[in-house]
Amino acid sequence: MRRSIGSARFSPYLFVLPFIVTFLVFYLYPLVSTVIMSFQEIVPGQTHWIGTLNYERLLNPFMYTAIWNSFRYTVFTILILIPIPVLLAVMLNRPGNPANVVFRGAMFLPTLVSVVVAGTIIRLLFAGSPAAIVNTILHPLGIKPTDWLLGGSASAMTLLVGMAMWRWTGVNIVYFMSGLQSIPRDLYEAADIDGASAWYKLFRVTVPLLKPTIIFVTTISVFGGFAMFEESYILWAGQSGGGSPNNVGLTMVGYIYLKGFQGGALGLGSAIGMILLAIVLGVSFLVLNLFGFFKRDEA
Amino acid sequence: MRRFLVLLLIVTVAGFSAFAQNQPTKLTLWTFQELHLAFYSAAVKAWNTQNPGKQIDLDGQVFPYADMHNKLLVAVQSGVGAPDIADIEISKFPNFLQGNIGLVPLNDVIDPFRDKFVQARLAIYAKDGKNYGLPFHVGASVMYYNMDIMKAAGVNIDKIESWDDYVKAGQQVVAKTGKPMVTVETTDQWSYWPLIAEQKSDFFDPKGKVWLDNPTNVKTLQFLQDLVYKYKIAVTAPGGFHHSEQYYGAMNSGSFGSIWMPMWYMGRFTDYMPDLAGKIAIRPMPRWTKGGFRSAGMGGTGTAVLTQSQHIDLAKKFLFFAKGSKQGNIMIWQVLGFDPPRWDVWADPAMSAPNKFTEYFQNGDGAFKMLLAVKDEIYPVTLTAQTPDLTDMVRNNIMVQVIQDRSKTPEQALKEAADQLRK
Amino acid sequence: MRSLRTAESRVNALFFLIFLVLCLAFLFPIYSLLLASFRPGRDLMRFGITVKTLIPDNLSLKYLASLLTARAGAYTVWYRNSLILVVMQTGLSLFFSSLVGYGLAVYEFKGRRLLFSLVLLVLVVPIQILILPLYSLLIFFKSMNTFWGIVAPFVVSPFAVFFFRQYAIGIPTDFIDAGRIDGLREGGIFFRVIAPLMKPAFGAMAILTALQSWNNFLWPLIVLRTGDMFTLPIGLASLLSPYGNNYDMLISGSLMATLPILIVFFIFQRYFIAGLTTGGIKG
Repeated sequence: MRRSIGSARFSPYLFVLPFIVTFLVFYLYPLVSTVIMSFQEIVPGQTHWIGTLNYERLLNPFMYTAIWNSFRYTVFTILILIPIPVLLAVMLNRPGNPANVVFRGAMFLPTLVSVVVAGTIIRLLFAGSPAAIVNTILHPLGIKPTDWLLGGSASAMTLLVGMAMWRWTGVNIVYFMSGLQSIPRDLYEAADIDGASAWYKLFRVTVPLLKPTIIFVTTISVFGGFAMFEESYILWAGQSGGGSPNNVGLTMVGYIYLKGFQGGALGLGSAIGMILLAIVLGVSFLVLNLFGFFKRDEA
Repeated sequence: MRRFLVLLLIVTVAGFSAFAQNQPTKLTLWTFQELHLAFYSAAVKAWNTQNPGKQIDLDGQVFPYADMHNKLLVAVQSGVGAPDIADIEISKFPNFLQGNIGLVPLNDVIDPFRDKFVQARLAIYAKDGKNYGLPFHVGASVMYYNMDIMKAAGVNIDKIESWDDYVKAGQQVVAKTGKPMVTVETTDQWSYWPLIAEQKSDFFDPKGKVWLDNPTNVKTLQFLQDLVYKYKIAVTAPGGFHHSEQYYGAMNSGSFGSIWMPMWYMGRFTDYMPDLAGKIAIRPMPRWTKGGFRSAGMGGTGTAVLTQSQHIDLAKKFLFFAKGSKQGNIMIWQVLGFDPPRWDVWADPAMSAPNKFTEYFQNGDGAFKMLLAVKDEIYPVTLTAQTPDLTDMVRNNIMVQVIQDRSKTPEQALKEAADQLRK
Repeated sequence: MRSLRTAESRVNALFFLIFLVLCLAFLFPIYSLLLASFRPGRDLMRFGITVKTLIPDNLSLKYLASLLTARAGAYTVWYRNSLILVVMQTGLSLFFSSLVGYGLAVYEFKGRRLLFSLVLLVLVVPIQILILPLYSLLIFFKSMNTFWGIVAPFVVSPFAVFFFRQYAIGIPTDFIDAGRIDGLREGGIFFRVIAPLMKPAFGAMAILTALQSWNNFLWPLIVLRTGDMFTLPIGLASLLSPYGNNYDMLISGSLMATLPILIVFFIFQRYFIAGLTTGGIKG
């Protein structure tokens, strides 16, 4: 498939040059810069080196809340947005059902909605007044009308995870369905001949062979979960303090925005970014290890 | 030939400069409050009429509160992108007084009239003797009563002198009408700050040290909590604060008996709660002790000229015209309903002339007489470089923890926040 | 045999029901937005979307119509800006990403493996970590509040590079050989021979890049400073203010910002799906 080109020795480098340039300027340099800034204090016109003081300042309740919120959000989204879409994808993959394409398309629509519009819709649906739709639906189930945005940590997390479920289930279904299509039919036929039940087929054939897809989706979910900010920003935009009450919606990137942009403390913000990077890489490493990504595997 | 060319040159240059002078100068202005923009537009019209040679074309932009301060800070720090003039709210102002200050000192336009201002209101926007912002108002805190509810409960508001009287009246209102007497903000500071200022307390002591957790503040926060849970005359504000749409909607439908907010809140009534027209009466707030203060100077917007402006001189003069001149101060009342910071204007007959505020409120034309009565009962607040962080904590954490969740006692919440700031 | 078929058709019916309910639930919020655009924004912000909002009677077109005039036509400015940005971003990204993807697929050269790993790295590690230093860079290049500031860091999209590379690998080398025989230089081979063959890839990536650009929020939030440069997401977000007044614009504006994508999706659905999947799930 690939040929080594003797004559046009420089062409390959020309082709990939755009990436090299943007990588160096917009990725590597900022990365190094962030490391350096995290040890500095930066005010207009003046930059001082302050060693680890920024990191010490981060030993505070805001930071702990931010880490805890990002962590919980990631865990919940992975727990809900992997198994359920896998199941739904398997269900939709049954042949001979023309409605399946329509269903897949319909569930995919929320992904197309921008986070601003999604957040606005969620705010209106989950509004605090007893007449709002969600409160109206939950009332006969015995749940009192709640102000979801202001109702504390649990209701805030419910909103965030609910929004994620709405927006990302469709995409994950699409990913998994594509992964399913690469599983050879004869494996299922062989299992049928052996008299396997549907559950057996699911857990012994489908899931193991979906592993690459599952690993891929999990990895992007880990990164996406820890880096979540826009949803939180939109849901609590317009609160007078410029953030969620008692930081129920504060995520790590939200804290970077709060300190780095709103408060002008670029050094402190960089330190938060460094910690975020460390956590994200650490968690991904653990997850990949869990999946046996680093073992020599067979299938 | 040469002489002719020189003449031509002179004529052309003169012509251009005259032409340029007659072109309106474009000034950009940033604010976070749409109502302010209406004021500035009116001010520009007046300026242009009086200064035909120095016309201004004002390009005003409104951004959400947190966002605008954000963008402005970024612009100042980066050295590019700042407007000519910007409104900066009082609790964010200290952010702009750090490092190399990107605001223009206004001393030269203020000095001729300095003694006519309420000094405390100039001081909050100043550093090292230089004034960087012009205030909009004194921000005197007052009590607004929904008279329909008061009448239905048989409460005489003029008999309410102390906070004890207020609590008793509140219990009467709840008993007779079933409606809460008042709402307490859980995501903003206007329920709390004026109450401690009345008792000559504050978030920072006059020397600038963190004073958040002093005994008076603890006792007052406990009082607020008691209003909701012990005396049961208050509920948490819908939407968390008194500027939320949910609150406007609820108050507008007559859900609450009263609210204590600064005088600048009058504009919110007229613009967002039209159904209450003619039903609201304004009175001084209750006092804590005999002879205690009945008001506090709350909130504020310091409007500044940015050093990045290409028209600093014109911007300064216009800004002073709008907010520092007698005419401007009268307009501040007429257009915005604010209590202007120049006390030499308060006795002016224009202040009691009919306008949309006098028509809306039951004693609107007597508002300034009332203000004059309490003008010596306004304790000045202290701002420091930590004010933005501290007010964020009050708005984001303390009020919610103590009044809404009750996850911390007033003492715990205040002490924790104070310790954080003292680090 | 018959019992198997009935059992299967029962399962089918059950699945059908489940998905019907799910789809209604997923589409419900969009339906609410549609109806909410015909109601006064102020009431919606005060009381939320209520049952009354959803019953299609007493609807008024004036809230949608006001989008054209509210705040001196700000909404149309935002719309125009979003369109400009989509064209810029999609065009540039397709151009550069295809070049890089092709280069990585077709040539063996020193550092190829390293470069590809770097592409994967950029793909996976989120940019949110770099927003602060990127923003300093922005100031340095004096690109604050410009469209270039939004587009420049992302002209090469690692996702698209990955996709193009995958696609190019699947193209038989005979085409390249033929091009060389015809005397074309390497660049010519790419532009005249291979690129036309990659039309489906361009289609899929164009759609996905356009979608991402239209909905882009975080980075433009940091770059854009003045109302006349705002894109739709930024502009709409700026209406969520406690001192604001333009809720009709927010809600009707949200609808009008979403409709184009929905329409594009219905027409080009397979490109969306193709773009997300063929891309390379096989790790």
